[in-house]
Amino acid sequence: MSTSKKRLGSIVRHGLLGIWAIFALFPLIWMLIMTFKSEADVMTTTFIFTPTLDNYRQVLLQSDYLRFFTDSVITSVGAVLISVLLGVPAAYALARYKFKYKEGLAFQILSFRFAPELLVVLPLFMIYQRMGLHDTYLGLIWVYQLISMPLIIWVVRGYFEDISVEIEHAAQVDGYNWWQVFMKTLVPLIKPGLVSSALLAFIFVWNSFTFPLMLSGFNVSPVTVAAMRFLASHTVQYGQMAVAATISALPAVVFALLIQKHLVRGLSFGAVKG
Amino acid sequence: MAKLRIENLYKRYDLKGKKKKNAKLNDFAVNNLSLDCEEGEFVALLGPSGCGKTTTLRMIAGLEDITDGGIYIGDELVNNLHPKDRHIGLAFEDYALYPPLKVYENIAFNMRAKGAKNDEVHRRVMEIAPLLKVEDLLDKMPVKLSGGQKQRVNIARAIVRNPKLLLMDEPLSHLDGKMRQELRTEIKRLHNKIKCTSVYVTHDQLEAMSLADRIAIMDLGVLQQFGTPLEIYDDPVNEFVAAFIGEPPMNILKTTIAKIESEFYFTFEDSELRILVPNRYYDLLSDGMVVKMGVRPMDVIIGKEDSKGEPVKVAVFENLGDERRIGVHVGDKLFMLITSEEVRYKQGQSIKLEVRAEKTHLFDIETGLRIRN
Amino acid sequence: MASIELSGVTKRFGKVTALDNISLEIKDKEFFVLFGPAGAGKTTILNIIAGIHMPESGVVKINGEIVNQVEPQNRDVAMVFENYALYPHLKVYDNIASPLRSPRHKKDEAYIKEAVERVAALLKIDQFLDRLPVQLSNGQRQRVALGRALVRYPNVYLMDEPLAHLDAKLRNVMRGELKMIQSNFNTTAIYVTHDFMEAMSLSDRIAVINEGSIVQVGASDEIYYLPCNEFVAQLMGDPEINLLDCEIDVSGNVYSAKFTEIDAVIELPHDADVYATLKDYGAVKLRMGLRPQNIEFSFDPADGFIQGQVYSFETIGNKSVLTVTVGGKKEVRLIAPNGLPVKLDQNIYIKPDLMQSLYFHADSSEFICRYNEAAIRALAAEKAGEE
Repeated sequence: MSTSKKRLGSIVRHGLLGIWAIFALFPLIWMLIMTFKSEADVMTTTFIFTPTLDNYRQVLLQSDYLRFFTDSVITSVGAVLISVLLGVPAAYALARYKFKYKEGLAFQILSFRFAPELLVVLPLFMIYQRMGLHDTYLGLIWVYQLISMPLIIWVVRGYFEDISVEIEHAAQVDGYNWWQVFMKTLVPLIKPGLVSSALLAFIFVWNSFTFPLMLSGFNVSPVTVAAMRFLASHTVQYGQMAVAATISALPAVVFALLIQKHLVRGLSFGAVKG
Repeated sequence: MAKLRIENLYKRYDLKGKKKKNAKLNDFAVNNLSLDCEEGEFVALLGPSGCGKTTTLRMIAGLEDITDGGIYIGDELVNNLHPKDRHIGLAFEDYALYPPLKVYENIAFNMRAKGAKNDEVHRRVMEIAPLLKVEDLLDKMPVKLSGGQKQRVNIARAIVRNPKLLLMDEPLSHLDGKMRQELRTEIKRLHNKIKCTSVYVTHDQLEAMSLADRIAIMDLGVLQQFGTPLEIYDDPVNEFVAAFIGEPPMNILKTTIAKIESEFYFTFEDSELRILVPNRYYDLLSDGMVVKMGVRPMDVIIGKEDSKGEPVKVAVFENLGDERRIGVHVGDKLFMLITSEEVRYKQGQSIKLEVRAEKTHLFDIETGLRIRN
Repeated sequence: MASIELSGVTKRFGKVTALDNISLEIKDKEFFVLFGPAGAGKTTILNIIAGIHMPESGVVKINGEIVNQVEPQNRDVAMVFENYALYPHLKVYDNIASPLRSPRHKKDEAYIKEAVERVAALLKIDQFLDRLPVQLSNGQRQRVALGRALVRYPNVYLMDEPLAHLDAKLRNVMRGELKMIQSNFNTTAIYVTHDFMEAMSLSDRIAVINEGSIVQVGASDEIYYLPCNEFVAQLMGDPEINLLDCEIDVSGNVYSAKFTEIDAVIELPHDADVYATLKDYGAVKLRMGLRPQNIEFSFDPADGFIQGQVYSFETIGNKSVLTVTVGGKKEVRLIAPNGLPVKLDQNIYIKPDLMQSLYFHADSSEFICRYNEAAIRALAAEKAGEE
């Protein structure tokens, strides 16, 4: 009796999960299908049509899309790199040192993520215009710190706090100077947190839309904004837009899959107390 | 207050799948357990984890089905009674006090559930509270209490209805050192006052030795020995009981009996050490016989120069102030001696050992059972 | 191999003074124990010697050289931390090898292999070398932490409560093992503990620390038998020493102790030194210290025995503690064999062995005198002479 009941339960469970998966993935599948449709098929067919690579050809070869892609890579990687270089020492300081208003400062950093981007982007636009940062790599990388830095600092700080200070002392007594202690002992221990938060930060930055919409122009234009261009022309090029969107989503999807593994490792990391 | 009688009690868990096919006799969590607890007696169920002591307690409480056998409280067979009808008080390891109720109401809860009148509840709570020294806590909420205080309230709650039987499952295991010792004393003193028949489950031999009138030692679901702390400590029935009780543990070593000039000696593999066998065992022994000998560190004596036997080198000497401990290597084991005499030894110094005749035990090499004469 | 000297060391954390003007001299190759209750400042002393903390004032010398400004990695010390502080991402082998791979103490891999295997064998962890610290039990981790220190031959081994987190049984075993391998140290060792048995067993000398100050320094026998005050007497011994308020009555040539809390009078055995000291001391009020093992008991009334009632009976391992209420209120602890058939609140009769009694100042708690003082000083001196 109990086995048949169990089997039924399992079928129901999988059925429900399947429905949910279709619901969640359907827009992506739809978009993918759309990239292979000709302009005529987009509106008239659903699953049965003559596939074509025309859209890809248009986007990749006959537009500036690859340049926009490069812009995205440069700004996102740059932003994450700077966040790591500055965020890890900041996280260490927040975890280890006692100083006045420490918690306030830590909260302040996190609170950058609270304000809706639309709220700050207008004043930023004015400021950037005056400072000549508008439509530059530096400008975008700078503003991306608002997204990536708090995440990295908060995750890595937690990792540092989990490492007992005696481990640092032990390494010092073992004969390593502070820099060697940091690189040989601390970095391996925070690695799971650092990697997963950096990847997550990268995805957030990559997908960012509001900031680049206002703060970038024709010189520097990440894919999220660039995809809009296909809207802006005289007709809406749904097929090409789908290609642009698919390619721009690619890194995020790949990294999300990577992160999944690291997040699991990162979260189940309990060795520090040892 | 009532007697507790357990007759041929078995508990077998319904094993699933693969495990079922390999089911053997020792799949019984409790295997043919019989115990008689006198009225007002304090009995400890003692054993390593998984020995069946908690299962036994839960069966007495009615929280667990009985596979076979009978449990009698007073003279009443309670196998099929609901826990609430067994007139028992429970104090378990995880102090589940009702968080929204004050201590007073926590203690009163069971009485109120039975529809007791307010003034009766009040009288009883005020009677119990001083016994457990919680009279100053009655107005507090459980979250404000320390671990020890919670456990006091828990026990107060268990005894408020004058149960026939008080069941406790490791009530002190969450507490640390001093608090634990303090509450241990309180429990003992409480029992001395209310004389409620009590069954107390613990894995801590010191707790059992300190609290119980009689101790039931279990292992793998089987009762090993049921006796007073003195019997358990001085007269263990087998190697398991001997090794389980006492800290530092009893020296138990494989030995070959050697007959030299009409006297028997304990000799040991890979060791020079030779100890004279107490006279009382001479009838049982023969030259070359292999047995296990067991003697507590306190019952090993430093031999004199003219003592019989062969000396051995001191491997470790510790002066602990209150006592001194000497360890000698026997094979890869350490044979310990504890003395309160003011002696001083150095590592590597020679020492002869003797054993107190009446405190030296022999165990069968195969079965581990005591060899008695 | 080194001598260590602290003079006038003071350390504050914010407003809290952790160490107040500490001066200590630790001899070369000495096994020196810092003993005291939690929060006394013992670990801070270790950290200051290791260079992890900087003292606000005072001088730290290793081998006569002032090292206040020397970084930990350059002090040539090895330390065992209370929480072990193993590197979680490294295998046991690499944990132990860590000091020998550091730039400061660099050795070639062949040497490292031999050294790691030597300490692993000594500490019986040879079969765990391939494991990560998480895969070890507390006792095994503790051994690894010890191994990481013993793999080198530093100026000094610093050990911070290495056995504190083990259960009682394992602690007994490990303390014995530590005692056995002590001769392998061959250098100065400073060992922090709050367990008087560890202090007694392992030490050449003990410094008793309380609230950031040194209370007494001496060989274990000296500290145990001649504690400088009640605080030290209470720390050394489990169960704690009994302290009984008493007044000295002098009638002719005979001195008697009148116990004010329990309404009993006992004649003090004649001993010229004790009598003389008590006489010089003048005041009549003092406190008598009696260790629990120095009190006899009987369940039948007898001459010279004081009546009391059994309050509790607790087994503490190889012996039990009998707490007796005397005079209705005063609790006296004494040692009894395990399994003693005893009923709570039953009558019991006790008799102190006054030849083992200690005397303390009633107000200041300072040590005044004890019986057998000369013999005990000789015993302590003999131990000291061995080193």
